[in-house]
Amino acid sequence: MLLTGLYAGVELGLNRVLAMDSTALPRLARLSGKVIAVECSAPNLQLFILPSNSGLQLASQWAGAADCRLRAPAASLLRLASSQDKTRILHSPEVELDGDSAALMELAAILQDLELDWEYELSRWLGPVGSQLLSGHLRSRVSWSAQALDSLRLNLADYLSEESRSLVGQREADSRFAELDRLKLDLDRLDARIERLAQLHKPSA
Amino acid sequence: MNDPRKSNDSEPTTHFGFQSVPESQKAEKVAEVFHSVAAKYDLMNDVLSGGMHRLWKRFTIELSGVRPGNRVLDIAGGTGDLTRKFSTLVGPSGEVVLADINESMLRVGRDRLLDKGVAGNVSFVQADAEKLPFPDNHFDVVTIAFGLRNVTHKEDALRSMLRVLKPGGRLLVLEFSKPSNELLSKFYDAYSFRFMPLAGKLITNDADSYRYLAESIRMHPNQETLKAMMVEAGFERVTYHNMTGGIVALHRGIKP
Repeated sequence: MLLTGLYAGVELGLNRVLAMDSTALPRLARLSGKVIAVECSAPNLQLFILPSNSGLQLASQWAGAADCRLRAPAASLLRLASSQDKTRILHSPEVELDGDSAALMELAAILQDLELDWEYELSRWLGPVGSQLLSGHLRSRVSWSAQALDSLRLNLADYLSEESRSLVGQREADSRFAELDRLKLDLDRLDARIERLAQLHKPSA
Repeated sequence: MNDPRKSNDSEPTTHFGFQSVPESQKAEKVAEVFHSVAAKYDLMNDVLSGGMHRLWKRFTIELSGVRPGNRVLDIAGGTGDLTRKFSTLVGPSGEVVLADINESMLRVGRDRLLDKGVAGNVSFVQADAEKLPFPDNHFDVVTIAFGLRNVTHKEDALRSMLRVLKPGGRLLVLEFSKPSNELLSKFYDAYSFRFMPLAGKLITNDADSYRYLAESIRMHPNQETLKAMMVEAGFERVTYHNMTGGIVALHRGIKP
């Protein structure tokens, strides 16, 4: 019952977030009717996800059969949720996947592609003028912070490579790496030539 | 020998809360209760259960295993909490019938669902659970949530539900039951007989309806008795799940 309550709360929040993305619900509608079971083996937990055009329904148990069943320890599930390269994690030995994996991958893609229209949500609470003022202010702050961080990064790199000479500069490093690559190729060619000469002068048996 | 179920004029009697009334009057009296509380039914459910009724209903949905294309009958569906969820689950190829004997409850449920945009695969039927107006072997799932205790002849209602279910179909009965813990039972008694009528008086100006609610819960069969009744009616693999310490139980039976 506790888990049912917890899932109900998460479902409510998740569906609010999904409603803020203009494409998520139509994409979820295509998965309508699918039942995706996620079983966490350590700790032992089970979650059933039922997508529909109104969002996701989460259930602690489901009497019907699941279309797709994913079984993995919590650490792998977390990696799967946060990683871009899901296929690599799905092929790891501790992860088991049965059934319609396309449904699971599509659901993961929908959740990863979320682009939240937070200005619309804000306008519901503050009205159009208030949300415009606040979002304009926030946008300029975010832009200033991004510029400041970018500038700091460039200045720091410049200082470390050009002024204090603590680190090698990017161009200098690139040129040195190119020399090393050339040297490696030359060595490989030399090695091949010596090998060929050794074959030519080998006494015949 | 006198039959205890017969009154002096030999009409069979039944319980209406703690009162004994002629069977012909029970449905009318129950209808009066629900006409009175229909407008504030959802609010009262939230207040009296502390929102727990939503979790009990969620659990019912989880155990229903409803799939797209299924046909579902929600008896005593009231304000349509279960119907709304079922409507999403069965999709456009399925069908959900919200049935209630009480016209006021049905009207509130229909308006509420339409307001929320639930339409297309939902129909509304005023029907008596004892004489369901549907063909045999018609539904994949039948649910009755907090309704069975108000039915005059529960055995007849269970048989009627069995008839309309397809073979392999599931009946889910969500109903108040008997707490499994003595201490909880004492607290629950005090809560039911003191707080519930008071809350009814304050919110709906109707203490009697909520006194009836508390009394009807005590008169309702406990978990094992209801399970035996379902087996007697013809259901197989009957199981029940206690929730909130047995205050509410969900019974499930399969039609063979």
